[in-house]
Amino acid sequence: MAAIEIRGLERRFSGGVVAVAGIDLEVAEGEIYAFLGPNGAGKTTTVRMLTTLLRPTGGHAIVAGHDVVREAADVRRSIGVALQEAALDPLMTGRELMHLQATLHGIPRNDGVRRSTALLNRVGLTQAADRRIGTYSGGMRRRLDLATALVHDPNVLFLDEPTTGLDPVSRRAIWEEVRKLNDEGTTVFLTTQYLEEADQLADRVGIIDDGRMAAEGTPALLKAQVGRPRLELTLVTGVNSEHTRAVEVLARFGEPLPSKNGMLMVSLERGASDIALVVRALDEAGLGVETLNLVQPSLDDVFVEKTGRHLEGADKQPAAETGVGAEQ
Amino acid sequence: MTALRGDLTMTWALMRRGVNELLRVPAAGIPGILAPTIFMVGLTAVFGSLTLLPGFTTDDYITFILPVGFLQGAGFTGAATGVNLARDIELGWFDRLLASPAPRGVLLAGTVLSASLRTVLPFSLLMIVGLSLGAEFPGVDGLLLALAIAAVFAAVAASYAVTLALKFRTQAAAPLMQAGVFMAVLFTSAYAPEPLLTGWLKDVAAVNPVTLILDAVRQGFVGGVTWSDTWPGLLALAGLAAVVVALAMRGLSRTSD
Amino acid sequence: MRGRLVWNLRVVAALGRRSVMQAFRRPQFLAPIIVFPSLFLAVNTGGAGRAVDLPQFPQVHGFLDFQLAGAMLQSTMLAGVSGAIALAMDIEIGFVDRLIAAPIARSSFVLGRLVATGMLGMIAGIWFIAVGLVFGAHIAGGVMGALVVIAMVALNALAWGTVGAALALKSGRASVAQGVFPLVFVILFLSSAFFPRGLLLEPAQTIADWNPMSLIAEGLRDPIISGLSFGSTMKGLGGIAIVAAIGTALSMWGLRARLRAG
Repeated sequence: MAAIEIRGLERRFSGGVVAVAGIDLEVAEGEIYAFLGPNGAGKTTTVRMLTTLLRPTGGHAIVAGHDVVREAADVRRSIGVALQEAALDPLMTGRELMHLQATLHGIPRNDGVRRSTALLNRVGLTQAADRRIGTYSGGMRRRLDLATALVHDPNVLFLDEPTTGLDPVSRRAIWEEVRKLNDEGTTVFLTTQYLEEADQLADRVGIIDDGRMAAEGTPALLKAQVGRPRLELTLVTGVNSEHTRAVEVLARFGEPLPSKNGMLMVSLERGASDIALVVRALDEAGLGVETLNLVQPSLDDVFVEKTGRHLEGADKQPAAETGVGAEQ
Repeated sequence: MTALRGDLTMTWALMRRGVNELLRVPAAGIPGILAPTIFMVGLTAVFGSLTLLPGFTTDDYITFILPVGFLQGAGFTGAATGVNLARDIELGWFDRLLASPAPRGVLLAGTVLSASLRTVLPFSLLMIVGLSLGAEFPGVDGLLLALAIAAVFAAVAASYAVTLALKFRTQAAAPLMQAGVFMAVLFTSAYAPEPLLTGWLKDVAAVNPVTLILDAVRQGFVGGVTWSDTWPGLLALAGLAAVVVALAMRGLSRTSD
Repeated sequence: MRGRLVWNLRVVAALGRRSVMQAFRRPQFLAPIIVFPSLFLAVNTGGAGRAVDLPQFPQVHGFLDFQLAGAMLQSTMLAGVSGAIALAMDIEIGFVDRLIAAPIARSSFVLGRLVATGMLGMIAGIWFIAVGLVFGAHIAGGVMGALVVIAMVALNALAWGTVGAALALKSGRASVAQGVFPLVFVILFLSSAFFPRGLLLEPAQTIADWNPMSLIAEGLRDPIISGLSFGSTMKGLGGIAIVAAIGTALSMWGLRARLRAG
């Protein structure tokens, strides 16, 4: 049985804004599914509908076997939710919040205390547990939020932009935790605007743009569908005449791309295996190569292909670069 | 001489910034005007009959209590200055001022004198409301005296609030600032002439310097303006000012501890 | 079925406990409930105390005895507004989302806070009775009278709690709830909370004759200054019921609107 099943889900706001314009998707039990898209694409709205915080204006969704509208209470029992604003009360301590969450789920007191302690330990907040949340760092808040989402052992976990605004170390800690949870059998539906996050964590990725699904598949499949690796190089001398000759040489191996800041680029038709041939051809033409870089297709390339735009901020993120002679 | 000119320029710039805040977000000024107005009108409606008591110095309660409104308006304006400073401290903007070459005295002067400027607003509105409710016009001398005292009182209240802001560095200290002003103005002959006060309030009002200040402001409204009624109030004002300004300056110099 | 009821009670108790804790952990919430009304009580008593000499003033043991009811009424109304600010803040930081996503009854969000406001009201009632006794007031209705007063104060706090909840749910913004503070004073000044109705200046006197707060104030005051009276208590409860009815209706409307808007 699918953990999440969505058909034609739509959300229209008053004033005519259509945040989600009809999406279909399925998440299998035990999967990690990443919903990738820029800000304003409709990710948060979708998650809010799936977690019964918002009513769809069209279509339907089944989460953990229950309809989100007609069987909302049953859905709430089976899901864990960690939202973007990390709905934490700064005046409470971490432990108090865990206990409250346990009570909200009807967990008997002793059981709740036991689980809270175990979860706080698991996310590394044992020492900070009795301090007020107002004193926690961003990373600590996210970890606490994650812990509260797990107190009742949910089947499906919803994470809305779980690592936005976190430093790299905290980010990896959260990823580790998500992987462990998934290994234990929890289905995870997460939204993100970070390519690396979707790439690293997800079994399958759904790309959403402007309220609609733009593409869906495993990261490898999506990238294979779309990109060919790109070779970026600079010559030893920047003499223009040599530039033109170089471009002629490169054109034999694929489509030359517009150069940027004196950097020549070509999309390798036959893939990375052609690198050696390119270098030899340039050498035979008497052109010296100063730097050479092989750039693999990224999910951003997938995004650009499907929507014609870059994922917001993607051009600022380091692409998955590999040096010369790297493995595929 | 140029150093003094520089100081004055900086002071004026800070004062203008304080007033600008009010002009940019007029809604922020509403509590400072609304509270004293509601208080004044409300107290008149509720306790107005006290004028029937033998020994009460006027027949209109509104005339009696309008001066209290002036001081409250000035006091709350001063308290608001302190709250704004606390907010500036929280935002880090105050650090920028501290790191500038402006002398500490100038920083304080600019901040608290902006309260003096801003107090013109509640003062004027209270005057209009009071007159329209039948308060007696105090005469030009009474009016100017009241305005002058209110302006200085606003600066005094602001210095007090600034001291608290520097000590606690958080907007959560706001109730403390407001309560302090509230008590200072009301633990006086605010509700009734001193002889008619009862119990603990009679004792406290007798020693509270603000009672003298209030009596000075009340001139023109209740009786005429005379020097013998004015100078005690001015002295009390000067004394209070000296104390709170000293505290505020000490607080400022301690910010680098 | 019984299991469900116990669960709901646990949730309401837990949320109530949290709300009370909030009031004590944030002094700005507690100040309007205890500190400010106490200051006002002290000033009113000392400043207007000679009013008892006025011929039309009712027979009282002391002016303080007369003032206690107004202080308690003020305290509970401000507690309602404080609760509104706290609930609005919960909405603003998304804490209410946490509650919505949990499998608890929708009414628990509001009930938890109401329980807290009621408790704070009761604490206020006890505080002012105690303060009154310490400073020489005399409860004409005796122990029974004091208990009736405290109970009514708690009920009034509940009633104003519903009004506060409605305000928070509808606006979702703490700044709006904050702006209501002055309104509380206006309502109180236009009633017999602080002074006998017959001695108020017009037009306040006429408004006070129609203001339900006058009924509540007199219902709180009579057990202190003249002894328990069925009629007066009933009228007081009637005033509280009016406030509670309006508040509850508006709260439910506000809650439904908020859940729908998501």
